[in-house]
Amino acid sequence: MLSVENLHAGYGSSEVLIGTSLHVKQDTVVALIGANGAGKTTLMRAISGMIKPSQGRILLGGIAVQGLPASRIARLGMAHSPEGRKVFGPLSVEDNLLLGAYHHLPLFFGFRSKAAKDLAKVYELFPRLEERRKQAAGTLSGGEQQMLAIGRALMANPKIILLDEPSMGLAPVIVQEVFNIIRRLKEAGTTLLLVEQFAKSALEVADYAYVMEHGCIAVEGTPEELAHNEQVIAAYLG
Amino acid sequence: MLKRFLLLRGTELIAVVLLASIPLAVNNSYALGLLTLLAIYGILLIGLDVTVGYLGQVNLAQAAFLGIGAYAAGLSVTMLGFGMLAALGVGMLVALVLGGLLAFPALRLAGPQFALATLSFSALSTTVLNEWEGLTGGAQGLSLSRPAILGHAVNAAGFYWLCLILLALVWMAMRNLLASQWGRAFEALRDSPIATDAMGVGTFRHKVAGFALGSSLGGLAGGLYAFNFEYLQPQSFTYDLMVILLLGVVLGGRKSLWGAFFGASLIVLLPNLLSSRLLFEIISGLGFLLAVVAGSRGWLKKTTPPFQVIAPIIAMGLLVAGGFMVENTENWRKAIFALMLFSVVVGLPDGIMGFAARHLARLFSLKPAALPVASRLDEVLLAKKSDGGVLLELKNLKRYFGGVKAVDGISMTIRQGQVHGLIGPNGSGKSTAVNVISGLYAPTGGEMLLLGRALPRGSLFKVARAGVSRTFQNLQLFGELSALDNVMLAMKGAYRIPLPLVLLGFFKGEERRAQADALALLELVGLADQARVYAKDLTYGSQRFLEIARALARKPELLILDEPAAGLARPDVNELVEIIKAIKRCGITIILIEHHMDVVSQLCDVVTVIDGGQVIAEGTPEIVNRDPKVIKAYLGVVPDETTKNGAVQHA
Repeated sequence: MLSVENLHAGYGSSEVLIGTSLHVKQDTVVALIGANGAGKTTLMRAISGMIKPSQGRILLGGIAVQGLPASRIARLGMAHSPEGRKVFGPLSVEDNLLLGAYHHLPLFFGFRSKAAKDLAKVYELFPRLEERRKQAAGTLSGGEQQMLAIGRALMANPKIILLDEPSMGLAPVIVQEVFNIIRRLKEAGTTLLLVEQFAKSALEVADYAYVMEHGCIAVEGTPEELAHNEQVIAAYLG
Repeated sequence: MLKRFLLLRGTELIAVVLLASIPLAVNNSYALGLLTLLAIYGILLIGLDVTVGYLGQVNLAQAAFLGIGAYAAGLSVTMLGFGMLAALGVGMLVALVLGGLLAFPALRLAGPQFALATLSFSALSTTVLNEWEGLTGGAQGLSLSRPAILGHAVNAAGFYWLCLILLALVWMAMRNLLASQWGRAFEALRDSPIATDAMGVGTFRHKVAGFALGSSLGGLAGGLYAFNFEYLQPQSFTYDLMVILLLGVVLGGRKSLWGAFFGASLIVLLPNLLSSRLLFEIISGLGFLLAVVAGSRGWLKKTTPPFQVIAPIIAMGLLVAGGFMVENTENWRKAIFALMLFSVVVGLPDGIMGFAARHLARLFSLKPAALPVASRLDEVLLAKKSDGGVLLELKNLKRYFGGVKAVDGISMTIRQGQVHGLIGPNGSGKSTAVNVISGLYAPTGGEMLLLGRALPRGSLFKVARAGVSRTFQNLQLFGELSALDNVMLAMKGAYRIPLPLVLLGFFKGEERRAQADALALLELVGLADQARVYAKDLTYGSQRFLEIARALARKPELLILDEPAAGLARPDVNELVEIIKAIKRCGITIILIEHHMDVVSQLCDVVTVIDGGQVIAEGTPEIVNRDPKVIKAYLGVVPDETTKNGAVQHA
């Protein structure tokens, strides 16, 4: 579904990614772990088109998308749930979700009925969001905002979702809930690329995992292989 | 070090000597008039740059302050018979006072509202100058003759030298001011006013002082303006001039004395260059060439986005083409300014000087001044007695937002030398509680006692001064300052030299000491080798650590850490734990808000659990971890199982 080949990208003159390659097969959950500053978030931003790679290829379902504007890539089926959630604070929960489906909906009339099915699906997954559908997103708790960010990504009916640190700043009980949601998404056959600091939990849900260090992939393998890799244990699992 | 000093100071000296010797070499009254104007506008733009460059506010009142200073100085000569220096002083003083008065209401506004407030002030002041005919002569204008200096009459060359000397003095004073804690504070409050207050540096007083200072320089320039032209008209100080002044600052380069100087030369020279067809064609042609060369270079190196390359080329091309089609270039003055301003704003966002400074520094391979040796940590953070006595006592603390009871009667006691954990679900009121303690919000009810004394309520600044320091969950660093400057800004008790001595440059000693102390704190968090890096260019983990070092520079009784481990990977979390242990060893009391339970368990002596704005449990980490209420509301699973479930035991 997603192939990243020898990707170079960065900010200004400083290169953060130096030849990163990774692959996400359809209907799998792939975890990406690594230290702060290793380039995980930069990789996510480069894949979704928020920054332009200077070299390398990104294939989304066989189509080369590197260098396309973020809005085009989103239309081709990539949904990015960014680090720090970034919900539209003053808008209601439902408006946030509808914006997630912006590309599929008619501009003026009938968008609610068209979106009804997807909305129902998201509300089934996150009953809490339905309870709060009229509330301004900025007034939700951190956990609810994270659910909203995931729900917004789902509304686009994407081929793949990039999930950047969904557990950041959340209480343990909510972190468990977030991972339960990821598990349910996986069971429903969603393709996911997951960046996560909770390496152990991430490896539990993932089908395959990459460890990133200093801008490139240092180790990769199935969760079982990584769980037995001395280097990974020392640095991330403890 | 010496090379840097010689280059920077030497260039300034050569420039002054060259400028001063021109009247001796050339006997041309027209050129002398232009040079005098250059010096006057130089002072004016240095003043404007304080608000526009350093405070980052669009200030549309500087032309009005030029006018106010001009009339104040002029009238004190015609009506009171003052000498030149006294009259200049009056011009400065009137502008300083009015600037301070305008700053009080205006600087409570932000962005466009501030610009509008200064715009209405300048409309008001030109109207008053126009209509108060008894005093100003109204639209008729005010004629005066240049007064004597200390009894000596001044000719045109003498007056030019006076302007030049004043420009040099203003230049030196501003250079000193901006290199001191004042300059740091100006830049910091542009990046994060909240953090500036929380670091005990009053945001508002610095803003007002900065604005009043810039206005007073406008007043000084106004006085010189009056004695240069010996005739004043209210129409000279309206929006037209204001736009050109802004153009000068942006074109020359913000946050730079040289930038203000280049801006002033452009303002003075452009109208004259436009009057000659040949000169105009040369200038527009050169501008076009510059846009093409710089643009294609940036494009080839992939450092400049296409829009930034193409737009200036088109704008300058339009200027060249227009030059051939238009009959009289002077009629098109404003359009020409507009095209130039557009090209510079797009193509050289840092202005001409910002662009030149980058390349010159590389050309001469200028290195920043060397850093002093770091102080010893135990000399910076003097060990506090930590006998376990009560440090902070909260009694029935409440904070409501409308109907939402975010904090609903929290009582807790924080003891000296302890790490006191504060945990609870998202939205439980932990962050609100520490925001109330640190003064970001005023409490709705309840008491807060620090060492038995009431803690100030609802003022970050006063709470910071009382000895409470904090970090922020959403980082509030001063991105445009270096890591070292971030820490130095907050350094408590380091800056004692009064302002007049700072202006004269007598602050280098305390600056070195503050640098050494700040380096010690950077060493503590492992950032000493990145002291010169801009905070915005640090990695996320380093930014979190820098916030801790900056908060420590307040040498606090109580340090509040708001989710310091959020978003940190495991190696960084381990480092964080070591840092917090080291801080604890210095005897500093810590409130730690954190979701990573292994961090909480390792560090905290006591943990208070909050849910729904109320305390639901308190005790050692072991006791709290087993409390059924806590498990249900927060942990989600029984702690024994947490080691198996990675979601709780951080992994």
